[in-house]
Amino acid sequence: MRERLQSVLAYTGAGFMLLVAVSVPFVLMPAFTKVVGHAGVHIDAAYSGGTIARTIQRPGYRIVVYQPVQPRLLEQIEPFVQIVFRPADALPARVCDEIDLDGDGRPDVRVAFAVPVDPRTPLRGDVTALNGKYISLANVAGESFSRLMVRTENGIVVRVPLNGNLAHR
Amino acid sequence: MASRSSNLTHPPVFRGVGRSILLTVPIALWSLLMFTPAFQHAGRNLRIGAVAAILFMTALFFLMMRTGETYRWRRIFFVALGFLFPVGFIASLVAERGTMSIPISRMVSGDTPFCFMVTPSLLVPAAFARTIIFPGSILPTASNPHSIAVMIGLWFAFTLVLGKAWCSYACFFGGIEEGFAAFPKRRRLHKFITRWGSRLRLVPWAILLFVVLGSAVLFEPVYCMWLCPFKTVTEFPAVRNVETAIQFGVFIALFAGLVVALPFLTKKRTQCGFFCPFGAFQSLFNKINLFEIRFDRAKCVDCTLCQTTCPTVALSSESIREGKTLLNCMKCGACVDVCKKDAAVWHLKGTPVAVKPERARLLFLYGAWALATMFGGSILANSVAAMIGFLPWK
Repeated sequence: MRERLQSVLAYTGAGFMLLVAVSVPFVLMPAFTKVVGHAGVHIDAAYSGGTIARTIQRPGYRIVVYQPVQPRLLEQIEPFVQIVFRPADALPARVCDEIDLDGDGRPDVRVAFAVPVDPRTPLRGDVTALNGKYISLANVAGESFSRLMVRTENGIVVRVPLNGNLAHR
Repeated sequence: MASRSSNLTHPPVFRGVGRSILLTVPIALWSLLMFTPAFQHAGRNLRIGAVAAILFMTALFFLMMRTGETYRWRRIFFVALGFLFPVGFIASLVAERGTMSIPISRMVSGDTPFCFMVTPSLLVPAAFARTIIFPGSILPTASNPHSIAVMIGLWFAFTLVLGKAWCSYACFFGGIEEGFAAFPKRRRLHKFITRWGSRLRLVPWAILLFVVLGSAVLFEPVYCMWLCPFKTVTEFPAVRNVETAIQFGVFIALFAGLVVALPFLTKKRTQCGFFCPFGAFQSLFNKINLFEIRFDRAKCVDCTLCQTTCPTVALSSESIREGKTLLNCMKCGACVDVCKKDAAVWHLKGTPVAVKPERARLLFLYGAWALATMFGGSILANSVAAMIGFLPWK
């Protein structure tokens, strides 16, 4: 009796597995995507650049300033602040902007670069620190996750390394 | 695989053609359903690829039914997947950005396609910091349809249905070394496996522990950054400094050694059995999966042919005495097909061993082949389409 019950359960389970297999593309995948989307997880700030702090409007484009990103535990990145100029297509041929990164009303860095007409052309530019909190970058492209100036579909992404840990965000 | 005979299995027992066709019909219909969007929306090359995939998968399943064998026909699909996946993947990379290397711009914009091999590395940071340490996108986007949610969902479904048979029916890397292992007729490093196989089998667990802990501490996917041999045939961080140059050297060395040379010399899936931490991770799911391979002790004569044949050293004398495989069994079916006494059988947990094993085999194969057609079949179709695109007279 017990063996028969076990067998019935086993075959029921196998049938259920078959159902799972055939429902993957129609039911399971869309459901799972929704679940993961609402799970409250996010991409590590070393890759995503962190959360948006403020947006600065300029004629024809905007500058999105992100919260500083600090390395966790032994994470092998320098602390940095991400700035995104978007949209890339609306930028003037040459950009030279002084940007307030920490919201104290005073500019912290000057970012200068020429926008290539061909999006595939590698981008290089300069970041000049206007105070001791940030580190200047000369002729920077994609050196590391903490020091870069690259073009993406979202815009021109610049990451400025911080000079030591900030006392507060 | 068999040391003395050039044939993998004992003479096959052919089932009736009518019965085999009948059993194949559901797979044929499933294949047509899976590739219907290709016929409706895709270009000519992909339609040709879809037809080829449908015929290929259906024919192989028919042969599984007709001959009663699993391993030989599964291996054809798996090796094709292993060698054709890089073709389609690399073709798409070169067409899109002109290089196999991942520029940092794609990593910061979340456009890196997710690879299931990194899954164990993500667990601790995701659980404790709600952070995914991978430069991809959580949800699918126009520029990155292979998002984390999609790929994790696919992996989860496969694992629920197949357990570690993922490594025999889904992993688009395992087929590469299975292909190199199939080339030579005889093993050249027989003693190496006999002497070291049981110890080397534990290495993937050590590497799994290392990558999980290392990824949690460093907050980076340690396996992807330093240990993945398959970066050589997919994509890798652009070499821009000494560190990335060393990483690239490690990838090449691991691929040449573990995926090409050792499988060729030992006729074993050495990367899978002796290195892959994701394989060790998948082994855990064998504990909860319903399908397994068991041994009828009444029929077994301890010839050890199954042990010699197993591509990942998932059998030991002790385990065979207990009538079981080890936890790292990939359910490839090699031992079942090679057993001359029909002692090795497919088994559904909860049912008597060796009672109607063909039923267990069928239930397993329907699930496995349905998923393989959906996932691997679509990869094959895309790769065939890419190859047609290379032809001068296309």
